[in-house]
Amino acid sequence: MSKLDGKRILACCANGAGSSLMMENAIKKVMTRNGVKLAELRHCPVSEGKSAARNYDVVMFAKPFAKTFEGTDGANTVLIPLKNVMSDKEIETALKEQGLLD
Amino acid sequence: MSVLQDIVEKKHYSFIDGEGVTWQEAVRLSALPLVADGSVSEDYYKQIIACIEKYGPYVVFDHNVAMPHTTENAKGAFKTGVGFMVCEHMIDFGEDEDGEKKEANLFFTLSSTNPDEHMNNIGQLSQIFMNDDLLDALAAARTPEAILKAEADFPCEED
Repeated sequence: MSKLDGKRILACCANGAGSSLMMENAIKKVMTRNGVKLAELRHCPVSEGKSAARNYDVVMFAKPFAKTFEGTDGANTVLIPLKNVMSDKEIETALKEQGLLD
Repeated sequence: MSVLQDIVEKKHYSFIDGEGVTWQEAVRLSALPLVADGSVSEDYYKQIIACIEKYGPYVVFDHNVAMPHTTENAKGAFKTGVGFMVCEHMIDFGEDEDGEKKEANLFFTLSSTNPDEHMNNIGQLSQIFMNDDLLDALAAARTPEAILKAEADFPCEED
């Protein structure tokens, strides 16, 4: 059992077509490696992600968008800015730091 | 067919000197092979520039790799493809939000109209961008043959 089982993760980038897809692939890799069964994993543009963020448990985006997401999280939403959106290692470390992965 | 083979087959590559070239001009140049076979319109690159001007150089990743792109089914995008460009000199993209200098000598400029093909390209590019040996070999490439040799010498791991 993982703390992330049944959780919902959203990956955002400027257009929802490039780096957010790369993030989604990297997140998928981390979930498979840790045997996590997410309820939902999807990607979208930041414009949409800002309002959708509160419906997700975790929202990830490239660091330049950190300001955009300030104050948009719901009470239970964890916001994670990433330096390298393709790095499954960075994603794994960030989730561990948040106590979401063992 | 791999994305690099596709780039070679469709002649979606260019090799430039790049000295003194602005990032805006570099983005335009990287899209020219896509313009040549009608994959994108002549002014498609302007949307990419507008996007980078709005959000900053977030399309420049580690290892001096740039992936200029806009949204899926952008105006002026007619076919899914990747414009690959190698620059002899680094292209300056300014600084990111942390004041870190961003520069690139490898360009993978995207056009996307077909979600499946685009997903496939992005998946492969993620692998390429994490493969430092392959990126070094690609940065040293000056011919299409060298692109294919780089891929053969430093294959990406299968997922």
